[in-house]
Formats: sequence, structure tokens, C-alpha cells
Amino acid sequence: MRGRGGLLLAPSLVLLVLAFAIPVGMLVPTSFRPYVPLVGITSGFTARYYTKLVTDSYYLEIIGRTLGLGLTVTALTLVIGYPVAFFLARTRSRWRGWLTILVVFPLLLNLVVRTFGWIALLAQNGLVNQAMIALGLVHGPVVLLFNFAGLLIGLTHIFLPFMVLVLVGAIQNIPRDVEDAARVLGASWASAFARVTLPLSLPGVLSGSILVFVLTISALVTPRLLGGPTYQVMSTLIYDEFLQRLNWPAGSAQALLLTVMVLVLVFLSGLLARRTGARA
Amino acid sequence: MSAGAEPSLAVRRLRKTFGHVVAVDDVSLEAAPGEFLSLLGPSGCGKSTVLRMVAGLLEPDRGEVVLAGEDITRVAVHRRNLGLVFQSYALFPHMTVFDNAAFGLRRRRVAEALLRPRVERMLDLVRLGPLGARYPRELSGGQQQRVALARALVTEPRVLLLDEPLSNLDALLRDEMRVELKRLQQRLGTTMIFVTHDQAEALILSDRVLVMEAGRVEQVGRPEDVYRRPATAFVARFLGRANFLAGVVAQRGADGIVVALDGGLSVVAGARDDLAAGQRVQVAIRQESIRLVPAGGDAARVNRFPVTVAFHAFAGPAHHYVVQLVDGRELEVASPGADTPLQRGTAALVEWAPEDVILLPGGSPAGGAPAPEDPR
Repeated sequence: MRGRGGLLLAPSLVLLVLAFAIPVGMLVPTSFRPYVPLVGITSGFTARYYTKLVTDSYYLEIIGRTLGLGLTVTALTLVIGYPVAFFLARTRSRWRGWLTILVVFPLLLNLVVRTFGWIALLAQNGLVNQAMIALGLVHGPVVLLFNFAGLLIGLTHIFLPFMVLVLVGAIQNIPRDVEDAARVLGASWASAFARVTLPLSLPGVLSGSILVFVLTISALVTPRLLGGPTYQVMSTLIYDEFLQRLNWPAGSAQALLLTVMVLVLVFLSGLLARRTGARA
Repeated sequence: MSAGAEPSLAVRRLRKTFGHVVAVDDVSLEAAPGEFLSLLGPSGCGKSTVLRMVAGLLEPDRGEVVLAGEDITRVAVHRRNLGLVFQSYALFPHMTVFDNAAFGLRRRRVAEALLRPRVERMLDLVRLGPLGARYPRELSGGQQQRVALARALVTEPRVLLLDEPLSNLDALLRDEMRVELKRLQQRLGTTMIFVTHDQAEALILSDRVLVMEAGRVEQVGRPEDVYRRPATAFVARFLGRANFLAGVVAQRGADGIVVALDGGLSVVAGARDDLAAGQRVQVAIRQESIRLVPAGGDAARVNRFPVTVAFHAFAGPAHHYVVQLVDGRELEVASPGADTPLQRGTAALVEWAPEDVILLPGGSPAGGAPAPEDPR
């Protein structure tokens, strides 16, 4: 059984090593080499790119912004996505298939096209601002682009389908009988949901959240287009280090930090899942 | 039931359709306080739908559900104070056995200090006393179903509804749980409505059995009555194996009815006055009502016919035979397993008592044994 399991894992393990472990490993030595402008990467050893990352307020702000964005997008997709997923998992409507397609539909559009759509909507004199002014909600145009709000709107929209799909699977796995049992035993709909349905869907909430969080903090195209050249997150920063400033050592250190952040998160959530899984 | 006692649960003219399918059609029933009433029928006959409407999980199109005199047809599920036990157990997997059992009392805002002894007593009653801290997945199927029973009973429901609660258990455990369930019911005096497709289970457990087919009630009665005096061919067939023979009422008398079977033989049945001479009937004879005796006796006695043994199999408590009558028709016979078996090809005699003959009005002219698939 063990041997056969290893064989089944072999293709993905090979891919993981070739496309992930080796390239990331190669970043490690690079990140400790000094970069001299106009000369390039020189031999020698320095840890200054790491110290800068954890001391320079410019970098700290970008790291904080990236994490904040990840948490906020995750929370928003969860709040918006859970009711949708619950409906899709429970409805017996014959439109169910179409509604699911509607949820997935944004994924079928090219990312750049979708993002330019948001630029048109969120711009100074875009549709959203015009509508809000017409409705008297605001007096002048609100800045929705090249800031936190713009990224939040764009990323939430893009990653919502992932959250919904993961949650639909999790909620569908909860037997209806269990909910019915709670209600016959005297729990109102809300109480049965809070005490039975929601706790039993937590594994789905956890995996959906990890997925969206990781996708958000590593997203590049959307933050670049909606944040412009100056409103940076970690991924755009890394992109610029590598391709604009050609400072590979600094970019490597930043990329490694991002990778470590993701790995730590995945590890912690694994622990959490095992603990909740032990009860469920 | 009787005019004096108010039924614990009454269902009046309940109807439910799903799209174009009529799942439950004009079903009425009453259960006396402390009664064990089974809803028996094949899968898809609407018995579980009736139960879910009583529980409030489904809304009937028409009809009423009356609990101890109170119309609860439009009362919300969680305010009905009923118990429901599912085939799938439906335990809360994220809660311990104790928390599962305490769920109903906690929703009723019973103080923890009062709740603990009640839950513990109920867990003791279903022999799960020491397992309160376990999680459902650490228990066997039988233990899980006992948790479900305790969880439902601890709230002292006015009526306990059971939806095929034993069907997921293996045969041996099922027998054990039947006894346990019946004892629990006798001890607590709870009115129980028990849905099952297993006729043996219904006969063993019930005070009365309600047989359903295609959304309608076929017959209600004590187990002996529905078994010995089925009202329809469906009931006769569903409650045990029987041989069906078509014929015409030839003669009526005080000491019995003579039925001329289509093949030329005559069968004598017990007296009843609701059948007219010349009326077509189906004769049903249960396989264990037939006695198989060695050939050589007097073959001219009432309900005694010469046969040839066509098939024999030993099934533990009984010998199963298929025997062939002189007109070529076959009968299934079950005789006590302790008897000396008759080998295939042996000539023998079958006989049965007139009072064991079940007469069903109507019946197909093409009848024979074994009976045709469709009872109507």
C-alpha cells in the first residue's frame, strides 16, 4: 500500500521538485549576494536585503499591506460567498446548474480584460462614481483606484468563485438528516445553523480561506493594474526588483519571505484542521 | 381509537404531491397513547413522507396533523416537541455522546444541573452510560442508533417517530435492537410511530400495523389480523409468502364457502357473509399453513390434494418445498425444520384448514401459483 501510494504521488512530486523546490532553492544563495548598481550581482556575502525587509518602514508597510489585503479579501469572499454556497448546495431548483456556471463565469474571462473592466468602473469618472454621485451618496468622486479599496474590490471579485466552489462542496457533504434532527430536537433554523451546519462546514471554510488568502497575497496582474506603479504589494515589489531594477538578490530575499509566509500559513492551518478534524 | 380516549396522534386525510407524483394520498391514522403503530410498505409507498409531515419537515398539500387534540399542521418543526430517529442515525459528529443526547434539553433551556442527571439516566437506559465522552464515530452502528434513541427520548416527546431506524444494522444487531426498542417503549410508555419496509419487524414490534402502498392505506389492524385476514391481495403478498389461486365462489354455507378453482379443484374456506355465489375471488394460502403428509392416506378429505415434490431446500427452522398439483400448478410449502424431509419426485398429500384459507374478492382470472407480479 505504501509503495503504491508513493508511485501514485511520483508525477506530482517530480513536478514539485523541478518547478518549485529547485527554483526556490536557487533563490537562497542569490539572496545573500551583494548587488552593485551598474555592475550587477557580485561575489561576497551580505544579509542586508533581509535586514532591510524587516527594518525598513517602506518594506514593512508593503508586507503589512499585503497581509492586510489577504485577510480582508479572505473575510469578504467568505461573508459574500457563504450564503451563495449555502443556497447552491441546498437548492433543488432546476436552475442550479446555470447558477453554478454564473458563479464560475468570471473565471472564464481573461484576467486582464476583467481587471480593465474594473478600471473603467472604478475610475474617477467611472460608472461607480457617476452612480454614487447621481444617487447623492457622495458629493464628489471617491478615489477607488490605485489604493487599498481598488485592490480589495478587484481581488474579492476574482477570488470569490474559488471560495464559493470550495464551500459548496463542504456544505453538500453535511447530511440533511443532521440538520433536520437538530430542528426536530427544538432548534430554530438559526440555532440549527449556528450549532450544527456552520461547525460542520468549518473544514470547508478553512480550506477556502487558505486558498483565497494564498492566491491574494501572491496575485500579480490585478494589483499591478488596479494599484498602478506606485501602490505596491509584495508580488509587484518582487516583480519590479527582478525586472525593473534588476536587483535579483533583493527580489530573491523578498520572494523567499513571501514563500515562507505562505508555507507557515499552510502549516498552521494544517494543524488547525487536524484539531477541528479530530472533533468532527 | 375508542370514543373515550383521545388519540395521542391523529393524521386526517393527508395528501402530498411532488410535481406530478402523488406521494401520499388521503392517508388517515390514529395512534392511542402508548401505542406502537407501524407504517409498513415497500420503498416509495409514501410511509416516510407521512412521517416527515408529522414531524413538520414537509408541509402537506392537504389534511391535518393533530397531536393530543391540538392541530399542529402549521406549527414550526422545532415547536412540535416530537422525537425523530433516522435510518442514518443523524448524530452530530462534532459533539460527544453526552452533548448529542443533551441537545434537545439545552434547546429547551433546561438548566445544566437538572439536565445532567436526566441525560445520564437516559444513556444508562440505552446501556451507553460509560460512553458519554465518546464521539459518534468511535461507536458501532448499534451504539450510534442507541445514542439517537436516547437523544430523542430524553426530551420526553409526546410521540416518537422512527424512520427505518434498524435498517442500517446487520441482521443479528437488528434482532437485538428490536427487543431493546420494544422494552424501552413498554418501560417509558411513549407513543411510537415506526416506519419500516420489513414485515417481520412490523409484526414483532407493533400493537397495530398500517400497510401502505402507492401513497394509500391498504389496511390497518393488529399484526395477527393483517397477517391472517389481509384485506387486499397486496397486503396478503407483502406480509409473508402465500400461494394465490383464482376461482369462483361455488357454494356458501354456515360451515364454509366452497371455491371452485379455475383448474377444476375445489377449496373450502371459513364462513363469511360478504361474498356472493358466482363472485370471482382469489384464494391465498400461506406457505406455512400447508401441511405436507406422506401419500397413502385418504385423499378425498376437504382441502387435501395429491402432489409431487418438485423442489426441496432446508433453511434451518423450515423446509422449503415447491409441490405440483395434479393440474400442473405449483404451491410453495414451508414445513417445520424438524420434520423428516421428502425428496424430490416423492408423491405426497398437501392439506390445510379451511380457516387458514384467505379469500380476496376480485382477482385475476389468469391466477395461479406462484402468484403474478402485480397484485391488482
